Amino acid sequence: MIGFRDVSAGYRRTRVLERLSFHIEKGEFVFLTGPSGSGKSTLLKLIYHELKPLSGEVIVADFSSNRLPRRKVPYLRRKLGVVFQDFALLENRTAGENIAYALEVTGASRTFIRRRVSRVLEQLGLADKEKCFPNELSGGEQQRVAIARALVGEPFILIADEPTGNLDPAISLDILRLMIEINTLGTAVLLATHNYGLLKGREDFRRLHLSSGRLVFDGPNGNFAPSAPPAEI
Amino acid sequence: MLRTLKEAILGFTRAKTMSLFAILVTGFSLLVLGLFYLALLNLNTLIRYLENKVEIVAYLRDNADQSEVGLALEDLSRLEGVSQVRYMSKQEALDNFRADLGPDSDLLQDLETNPVPASFNINMKEGYRDTLHVQRVAERAQAFSFVEEVDYGRDWLRRMDIFKHMVSVVGLSAGALLGLVSIILISSAVKIAIFSRRKEIFIMKIVGATNWYIRRSFLLEGFLKGALGGLLAAGLIFAATTVFNDRVIPITNFSDRYYLYTVLAGGLLGLAGSWISLGRYLRRV
Ligand SMILES: Nc1ncnc2c1ncn2[C@@H]1O[C@H](COP(=O)(O)OP(=O)(O)OP(=O)(O)O)[C@@H](O)[C@H]1O
Ligand SMILES: [Mg+2]
Repeated sequence: MIGFRDVSAGYRRTRVLERLSFHIEKGEFVFLTGPSGSGKSTLLKLIYHELKPLSGEVIVADFSSNRLPRRKVPYLRRKLGVVFQDFALLENRTAGENIAYALEVTGASRTFIRRRVSRVLEQLGLADKEKCFPNELSGGEQQRVAIARALVGEPFILIADEPTGNLDPAISLDILRLMIEINTLGTAVLLATHNYGLLKGREDFRRLHLSSGRLVFDGPNGNFAPSAPPAEI
Repeated sequence: MLRTLKEAILGFTRAKTMSLFAILVTGFSLLVLGLFYLALLNLNTLIRYLENKVEIVAYLRDNADQSEVGLALEDLSRLEGVSQVRYMSKQEALDNFRADLGPDSDLLQDLETNPVPASFNINMKEGYRDTLHVQRVAERAQAFSFVEEVDYGRDWLRRMDIFKHMVSVVGLSAGALLGLVSIILISSAVKIAIFSRRKEIFIMKIVGATNWYIRRSFLLEGFLKGALGGLLAAGLIFAATTVFNDRVIPITNFSDRYYLYTVLAGGLLGLAGSWISLGRYLRRV
């Protein structure tokens, strides 16, 4: 589903990720952890192709970073759902409109959009919030709207970059439970966080751990023991 | 298409201040350009009006041979820039003179001979009413032995030359400068308006909107905003010329076509500005 093959990546001046290799299979739930600045967001950007690898290959479904013209990128993104720490909702649209937006840009029919939106609102317990604007919703509700928008196009994977970063601990756990529930319905989840509280008691969840741009652990959370951090270069 | 239009109109309500700012900047720039063009237009009308008076008069000796005069008339008519050569006989000239004098014409009542000479009155075509061409024709007329004297307002013509030159040089450079400033102003306004909406562009991209889809909604919006600015400018120019015509002096107005051009120019500038500013956000992967 998602494959990183010897991927290095970075920005104009800085090299951030060094030779990562891993796979995420259909329906998996994966935590991506690592200290601030270790490259978690950069790794996610590679998946939704906001960034191209410097070397190696990123495979997303049947798209490969090595053979992906820029005009095809939107079609890759429609197979993903992405959520962020700051929710990224349009302030002058209601919850329902924000969710519908993801389908409108794909040119879906009006009736299809309406059906899908009410399905997702129902699923995420937002049915009574459809007509609310983002500033009329709590942070947790806004993040649920963002998740609903990510899911409305029926992606095979939900990618979350620090989705609980702006939420208090109790609400953060709610969001995590919601994502686990979504996962049980078949959607893979890749959840990047440095809020290690979320991982407590989730011993058999898969965890990827980054340190200074290297993948230093890949295994069940219960066995977490990152290999020695790479020597300074 | 309907959805795009809806997006574009929604765009007006988003980032309201920025939209208004872009519209006002476009409107103001076009207003200044329009008024400048109007001023040039009127200067040109004035020049043409003044130039209409350019006439070369060649006075003929009384003993001129009529057949030679006829040949000379044909010869002069064929010169470059000459639109018309009229022969005015002594009698005609006297009558004109009398008419000019009006009530005082009694003074000429009892003349035994007609003292007013016959003449060629030569008019030049538009675009040839300058010293260079007029002088050439005057010299040619002077060359005929039966031409006594040629008169064409030498000094006045030279002053007209300088005036025309100044109008075209100043008009062109000031116009180019104004145009450049307008383009810079409008494109910065559009750039700011689009920058204020980069979050929206990011969201569109992240949910899988194609660059074309994003472009379409922003371009339509840019066009509509620009056209609105153009409409504003056209309206103000219309109001200004109407008031000026009524209260001050009649002037040459924009033809209706130019009002349409102003609106279109606004739209196109908005379109181009949006296209260029958007590129920055869409080029990245
Ligand atoms: N757009 C960018 N341009 C240049 N450098 C960047 C950019 N984004 C991130 N970086 C750099 O890349 C490194 C990794 O950043 P990244 O955002 O991937 O870390 P992160 O693990 O997500 O951190 P956090 O937990 O704080 O979100 C950092 O050193 C950062 O300064
Ligand atoms: Mg990050």
